[in-house]
Amino acid sequence: MKIYVSGLYCGTNPQPGVGIARSVRQAYPDATIVGVEYSNRCSGIHWQDFDDIWLQRPWEELNLDSHAEAVKKVLDAGGLWISGIDLEIMWFGDIFPDGHPNLLTPPAGALKQVAKPEVSAHKGLPVKIPVYVSTELSDWDLHAFCRQNDWKVWLKGPYYDAVRTRSWAEFQDMHHRLSSAWSTQKLFLQSHVTGYEESVCFCAYRGELLGAVQMRKRDLTEMSKTWAGDVTEVPAEYAAALRKVVRDLNWTGGAELEMVRDPNEQLWLLEMNPRFPAWIHGGTIAGYNLPGKLIEGATGVKAQAITEITEEFTRVVLEVPVRNEFPLPPLPEPFAGGIGHSLKHPSGLLGFANRLHAAEANGNGNSKVKEELANVPASFIEDIKGVEFDNVQTPSFLFLEKTASALFERAARLSKKLSTDDIQVTNAYSMKTNPDKRLVQLAYKAGFLAEGISPLEVDKALKNGFKPEQIILNGPGKWWHKEFLPKEPIHAVFCDSVADLKRVVAALETGELKSKIAGVRLRTPNIPSRFGIPIDTPEVFNTLIESIKLLPRECGFGVHFHMASSNVGVGQWWHLFESILKWCGSIEALSGRTIELLDVGGGWFPDDWHEDSDTHFAKAIEKVREYLPHVRQIVSEPGKALAQPSMALAMRILEIQDFPGAATDVVVDGSIAELPMYFFYPHRILHQNSETGAWKTLGRGRAYLLGRLCMEHDVVASNVGLPDDAKPGDLLVFCDAGAYDRSMSYVFGRG
Amino acid sequence: MSLDAVKNATNNFENGSGIGTATASAKTAFDKWRDFPISRISHHGQMCCEAAREWLAAMDFSQLNAGSDLTGPRWIRQKYNWGPTTWQIHWCEAVRQRALDCGAQAALAQEAFEARGVESYQCQLVQQYSKEATEQWSERWNGAETSVFWIDDDLIYHEGCAVATGKNNEIKLWDASAAWWINPRQFGGYGGLRAVRIFTTPNDTAAFKWGEHSFKANEWQKI
Repeated sequence: MKIYVSGLYCGTNPQPGVGIARSVRQAYPDATIVGVEYSNRCSGIHWQDFDDIWLQRPWEELNLDSHAEAVKKVLDAGGLWISGIDLEIMWFGDIFPDGHPNLLTPPAGALKQVAKPEVSAHKGLPVKIPVYVSTELSDWDLHAFCRQNDWKVWLKGPYYDAVRTRSWAEFQDMHHRLSSAWSTQKLFLQSHVTGYEESVCFCAYRGELLGAVQMRKRDLTEMSKTWAGDVTEVPAEYAAALRKVVRDLNWTGGAELEMVRDPNEQLWLLEMNPRFPAWIHGGTIAGYNLPGKLIEGATGVKAQAITEITEEFTRVVLEVPVRNEFPLPPLPEPFAGGIGHSLKHPSGLLGFANRLHAAEANGNGNSKVKEELANVPASFIEDIKGVEFDNVQTPSFLFLEKTASALFERAARLSKKLSTDDIQVTNAYSMKTNPDKRLVQLAYKAGFLAEGISPLEVDKALKNGFKPEQIILNGPGKWWHKEFLPKEPIHAVFCDSVADLKRVVAALETGELKSKIAGVRLRTPNIPSRFGIPIDTPEVFNTLIESIKLLPRECGFGVHFHMASSNVGVGQWWHLFESILKWCGSIEALSGRTIELLDVGGGWFPDDWHEDSDTHFAKAIEKVREYLPHVRQIVSEPGKALAQPSMALAMRILEIQDFPGAATDVVVDGSIAELPMYFFYPHRILHQNSETGAWKTLGRGRAYLLGRLCMEHDVVASNVGLPDDAKPGDLLVFCDAGAYDRSMSYVFGRG
Repeated sequence: MSLDAVKNATNNFENGSGIGTATASAKTAFDKWRDFPISRISHHGQMCCEAAREWLAAMDFSQLNAGSDLTGPRWIRQKYNWGPTTWQIHWCEAVRQRALDCGAQAALAQEAFEARGVESYQCQLVQQYSKEATEQWSERWNGAETSVFWIDDDLIYHEGCAVATGKNNEIKLWDASAAWWINPRQFGGYGGLRAVRIFTTPNDTAAFKWGEHSFKANEWQKI
């Protein structure tokens, strides 16, 4: 019996070849085992269980046709082949679409049904698939996916590689790296599932399930790969479903279903690998020799029984002698001044993946770039069409008046609708979001309060019509330019620290400051913030309670908290909201002060605030009523959600330089000085055709929009699909620039 | 197959091939602690202790991070090292410690589970380590002038929480001072669980399932 085993990489993210060989040797001590590898740098070629090594040239240079012929010859001669390389298995699917009796890998049809992330074959198994999206979607949609999943998401490559991306900047960086490495935009983002990792590994021959085991990871490497585990039988219910899946797929070969078990015992399927896992010999140690069973099923030759078994296994690091015929290759030269030797994927799997992509896409290497991906609200276009661009000196912010008016009116309607006899819901406009007087006046007309973080902001609100009793004073800088504070009572003041509280108390006592409500801002526990009074240790919590007792009884008492939902994600924000309500309940009970006003800062991304806002906020008010029955007013601060869509930035193309086959560099007269939030979220971009005047949203492509500044990081958009007929002088409009882009924009490079 | 493997491992242990089996097999693991009371944190009946309990419950909810209520409160162990505790201890004192023993950590975890509305019971455990380990702990506890009644040769008395999963009287055992769920498939050996007693209300006759094991409420159960 001659058995070929491929995939002998034995680094920190090992392939299963060596484990397969060890198990095969145990089942068939006299078999000839040939190790197949595509790089002499894969240390598994030196493993003692291989009788021979069939070393091929790396995938990126291998003549695939002649290699296919050689493999066929081996199989026709009676050799069995167990592959430990996903891409080799996919390639075999093309070469042997109907399989080969001696090729112990799945047929092409089955492989399509286990492709990640969908893994359509999972239906019937007691598992769920974590939500995912393709990165072919627009940046706008990808950002929304990250927010909806609390930024607990993984960016995954088409075959290997998965990286956690905690922010938009991190996502952009890793997306660029992975799409470059794998030569495709077809990556995907998948939601993280918290829990314990476990696997079901099985083997089958022509649709018959031969054996299966369950393995729980008991120790992990830094890359979350198995280092130790325990192995048991697959539960009967799971095994029955698996048997049907295997039959339906007509599966041949090994496979692994990688899963996470969440705290509620739900299993989530991350991927189904079409091969044995690297820990496969751990299963043999536990009494389940699946490679042996596979060969037994394929050949009918009985495998040797296992005598010594234990349920748990672990790994150790071993040094083994190098085979004389395959001396170690020299290390590649580090790049000049570089760090490390760049040893990842020594067998050229990335190159092989690119060759497979090219074959799939008829040499294009990518599917057609999708255009017009992001939906721009009709009111944006209507507002922009009303601008006389001949009179606009670019770069220039455009005020989208109809859009802005509609948003403020909607917010006013919502607060009115949510208000009840016992709780008044009021909006407050955070002046720092964008102090443009058109927005401030819209807020005033819509019945908002004005929230200022400095006396100067308060003064601006007053000059735009607000009365002192409509002012909320917040933040750590409330005494900076205190001469601008009104003499009349303001609506509320929130203290940002205990020291600030003492200062406020003193000011209230002397009449320096008058306020209907005096309260505290709570620092969010478990989410880092520099603002508010901390509560995360018993000591500081006690200090807070004692300090609250200092606030004058003549004032009502209020609590404010703020955390940008766009940064922490929607689900986490709502949990934080409920968490703060609990803290408030404790504060009431311990301080003897009842909370009359709850001020909720949102930092809402516009789409998140608008989506089902009626339902979400109605539920929130019910929660407030449940936890804090004395609250009479809830102040909501939807500033970012209203201001961000209310302005856009117009700019013009200065020059276009195309690098055929690579990127297109487009220099524009805008810059990060006008779009400082570029690093935090994507902007929807419109291009105007200079001939027809038609506006079109830009999809994904290979253009980089480079700002006018001589600053390396002045790149205002990446991977943009610019129309072929775009030319210098064309107008681009960056939507969603009305909040902190506008208020934090700065003068730079203008002499 | 798995049960056979477990049986073999257990037999090996009982036959003396496991760690420290000579001592462990000579008596019932829980003999020394048969009537030992479960740890309870005292309350001064004043605001100081109430503030501490409020803080713990609110902090635990914040730390849940939008995760499941059945998530083990690992943050408690992250905040408090494991170390000697001088009993009797009150809530206002406990939350301010740098280190807490297993009984105090389990009591805090129990409070957290209850505040979440999760059905949970304090439980007593007996674990086996080695003489080298228990001698180290004896020195440390003696150095802090605290009781070493929890150590008996190579066995130790330990506390945790039995948390109901909500399905068929199943429980999971939360080891608060290790911040992990005890493996219901592991027996004997270093760190192995030898006995369990789940505290519910007096005279409760409830039965619980833990993996393949069944426990009666308030009774010591040898594993």
